[in-house]
Amino acid sequence: MSAIRLDQLGKRFGAFTALHAMDLSIADGEFMALLGPSGCGKSTTMNMIAGMERPSAGRILFGDRDMAGVAMGRRGVGFVFQNYAIFTHMTVRENLSYGLRMTGRPGSEVASRTAATAELLQLTPLLDRPSAGLSVNILQRVAIGRSAVMEPAIFLLDEPLSNVDAAFRAVMRTELKQLQRQFRQTMIYVTHDQLEAMTMADRIAVMDHGVLQQVGTPLDVYNNPANVFVARFIGAPGMNLLPGVPLDTGAGMAVDLGPLGRSPVLPPAQAAALRGAGGPVIYGFRPEQVALAAGGIALQTEVIERIGARTIVHFSGPVKVGPVKVGPVKVGPVKVDGVKAVFDNDLALSVGEVAHLAPHGGDVRLFDAATGRALGGH
Amino acid sequence: MAEIAFRNVSKRFGSTVAVDDASFTVGDNEFFCLFGPPLSGKTTILRLILGLEQPDEGEILIDGRRVNGISPAARNVAMVFQNLALFPHMTAAGNIRFPLIERGVAADVIAARLDDAAGKLHIGHILHKYPAHLSGGERQRVAIARALVRDPAAYLMDDPISALDARLREETRVELKRIQREAGRTLIYVTHDQEEAMSVADRMAILDHGAIRQIGAPREIYDRPATAYVARLLGAPMMNILAVEAVSAGAVTLDGALHPGATDIGLRPEDLRLTPWTGAGPVATVAEVEPLGGHTVVTVRAAGSILRALLRGQPAFRVDTPVLVSCAVARAHFFGPTGQALSFSGGTA
Amino acid sequence: MTMAEKLTLPATTLPPDTDRRRLGFRLTLPAQVLVLLISLFPLLMQLYISLTDWSPLSGLMWPRAWQMWNGLANYADLLSDNRLWAALGRTAFVMAVCVPVEFLLGLALATLFMDEFPGKRVLYSILIMPMMVVPAVAGYMFFMLFQSGGPVNDILSWFTASPVTIAWLSSPTLALTAVMIADIWQWTPLMFLILLAGLMGVPEDQMKAATLLGAGPWQRFRTIVLPRMRTIIVIALAIRSIECFKIFDTLFIMTGGGPGVATETISVYIYKITTQDLIWGYVAAIALAILLVLSVACIWAMKRLAR
Repeated sequence: MSAIRLDQLGKRFGAFTALHAMDLSIADGEFMALLGPSGCGKSTTMNMIAGMERPSAGRILFGDRDMAGVAMGRRGVGFVFQNYAIFTHMTVRENLSYGLRMTGRPGSEVASRTAATAELLQLTPLLDRPSAGLSVNILQRVAIGRSAVMEPAIFLLDEPLSNVDAAFRAVMRTELKQLQRQFRQTMIYVTHDQLEAMTMADRIAVMDHGVLQQVGTPLDVYNNPANVFVARFIGAPGMNLLPGVPLDTGAGMAVDLGPLGRSPVLPPAQAAALRGAGGPVIYGFRPEQVALAAGGIALQTEVIERIGARTIVHFSGPVKVGPVKVGPVKVGPVKVDGVKAVFDNDLALSVGEVAHLAPHGGDVRLFDAATGRALGGH
Repeated sequence: MAEIAFRNVSKRFGSTVAVDDASFTVGDNEFFCLFGPPLSGKTTILRLILGLEQPDEGEILIDGRRVNGISPAARNVAMVFQNLALFPHMTAAGNIRFPLIERGVAADVIAARLDDAAGKLHIGHILHKYPAHLSGGERQRVAIARALVRDPAAYLMDDPISALDARLREETRVELKRIQREAGRTLIYVTHDQEEAMSVADRMAILDHGAIRQIGAPREIYDRPATAYVARLLGAPMMNILAVEAVSAGAVTLDGALHPGATDIGLRPEDLRLTPWTGAGPVATVAEVEPLGGHTVVTVRAAGSILRALLRGQPAFRVDTPVLVSCAVARAHFFGPTGQALSFSGGTA
Repeated sequence: MTMAEKLTLPATTLPPDTDRRRLGFRLTLPAQVLVLLISLFPLLMQLYISLTDWSPLSGLMWPRAWQMWNGLANYADLLSDNRLWAALGRTAFVMAVCVPVEFLLGLALATLFMDEFPGKRVLYSILIMPMMVVPAVAGYMFFMLFQSGGPVNDILSWFTASPVTIAWLSSPTLALTAVMIADIWQWTPLMFLILLAGLMGVPEDQMKAATLLGAGPWQRFRTIVLPRMRTIIVIALAIRSIECFKIFDTLFIMTGGGPGVATETISVYIYKITTQDLIWGYVAAIALAILLVLSVACIWAMKRLAR
């Protein structure tokens, strides 16, 4: 078991920079999610940790050991591929015992460790079945078991649930989380689904365009996004972002939202952040953190989605935010089609009505309109 | 304009029953969803409507006309494929015109319908582009336009957005709903994503191994599931279903009496209330806290059962905290020995 | 399984499966009859003649060969024909050497070509060329190469102190070696191509997974590549073995079956008694017997090795 540290890690493919210098520390036994849209560099990062790609810059350290020059098969990493890469011409047992057999472990050891792993993953009745044609659920366990039996220092998973039907995903997510706890493995999990990251990870590293945007616990990135990209990417739906200008109303600080009118007056922390802003700002609030109240921002209701435990309301008003520059790279554009809000099921609103939204002052987040970075500290 | 009706349709493949005595009616301009786990017969039903399969028993009617045995081309239903199947060597306009040219429709009619569809789907500005140069969303709209210009009685979609990123799925399903409303056609839509189904459907049919368990508006089915199976399918996290003995043992505290004939009781996670345990009443222990940001899923262990509660916001529960789990009996679902739902008792159902 | 995967035809009327099969059968009937005639007719003709003692020198036209009927005497004769059996032995020897060598060389080359290296495209074209050469031309080329004063001996002279003047094609032992070298040169590219296709079909993900689990290159080859290439390997070996058994053009031009009968393979033998001795009844019997044995061997091998 070891902690992992990425030190100014970078990767270029010819003229294209897949990953800009990244610093990241992963604690021993931690479940870290690399989260971001396609092409953000998360898979490249993971491939470099596994040794499948060589870094163009920077170092990868397992504990204190620099992994430069350590070959792919000698790093002690377990890897679960997106399509599991099960050896379909072998039985389940042969798959599970593969690593042990290839590294020359004595037969009795191979047998006992394989049996123990199979037991943990509830694969014992399937051990002598051919692995081709088994269900995705079982294949996931075989893929994990195959790596786990080697007792690797670290587990890498590359979007393992992307091929799974929505219906099964929740079940398999829970299983994965339980397995991680059981094995106490350091796990790095690549995904583009923020719900997966939020549910499973101890910490999330949000990436876009090869740049690390923010690292923090799920609640950290949700409550205190470092920039508009993270604000928008985390949460379903993501944070509402409205461009505006700071305004001193006399009774307190607010944001002038142009055609949408004026925001409600902000509490002291946000007000201080506003005063420190040098120019236009972006007024951000999460869909789950609004109330319907007179004096709020007036918006017309367009669509109401009643999807079980929640009701998502879409308001009209196309608004465009971005693109913004985060570090060396342009991020976005962060296009906001319209404001959204999430309510409980007892909502009494109908399509076409005008609603007045009052975001909870303490949960409002402000961003610099030029850089997209969060204003003020929290 | 079409009404599509199934009357006691069954279909077998060898010894497997793919569709089991299915009956339903899809109204005019309705967004109708076929929902169920994989292999529950959704795709087979779609193929039966399209005419690629013939029913072994029962009747299929389109617009009051019996279509058993009539070839797909003559049925006037259009299909939008999951992989869109756009011809890469034709422009968007060429793709859209294709089905009409094939059928020998007059040129001025083709032009008119192309304009109409392009207007409805807001693709007028990209008609000259080739599919390779279009975004995923634009390609989807071109595929739908191509189905639309045939002026079909209904159009069918088989899981069109499951391959997209999570974020894109959420946005596209709202788009699809809007498009269906503007196009004004019946749409029969297959999916296994329950949130998606509830969001888009006017009415939906829940399938279980080829048999239809319930038909109705999403909210109806969510609030009043006919069976425990249906209750488990909708809602995430899944409904907590416990034996009534567990409730008596103190897993949950209810504020009223249980239905006398119930063997199982179902409680939706969002209906459970967790309060710090004060020493009185049965105790439950927090096993897991999953913060999702706007909501938090708290898993508790109570009297040997495991319950999951969905709480608003970020309440400060920690693992191993003792809590009291309570629920209003009016929100509880009672199920009999066969899994059938029993009507509410007590409270104001 | 979504409709997109199942549906490949436009929305026209589709007859059920059995009708479609019957229709297909009927549409290909003329072609089937033609193929049958072309392949079956000569076979039956051969069978007929093999049961006679017919020769074109007899003055009879072949349909009247029944007048020289001698039943299964030809078949009995071939069993005791020493020259025939010697030719078969030599052919088997050539196969036993050439096919495995071509296979291993082809496999080595194909493995090499799975990675990128400078000049890969050029090397690829060069490797394919031997296959494109007309076998007879290849025969003449090697005939010239293996002359006593020829290039092969010259190159060998570089390695030894004294000049080398091996008379390749006049030596009973070395002539066969020369022929085998020619065959290997010409047909290794075919093995290379087939095996390269097979190698490319091995999923890269599984190879990576195996590496990450600690498997070395040889282990990966043994546990993942070979098992997955099983069918292709069987096909490659079967194709090449059958062709090697029939080896003729190159060999005949190089040595004419000589010196003496030192390089007389079965094809050469049949050629000689057909064109020189003109005992066609006997020839027909030999050909049919070989066809029968080869067919049985092939079927047995395919069943046992492939899946």
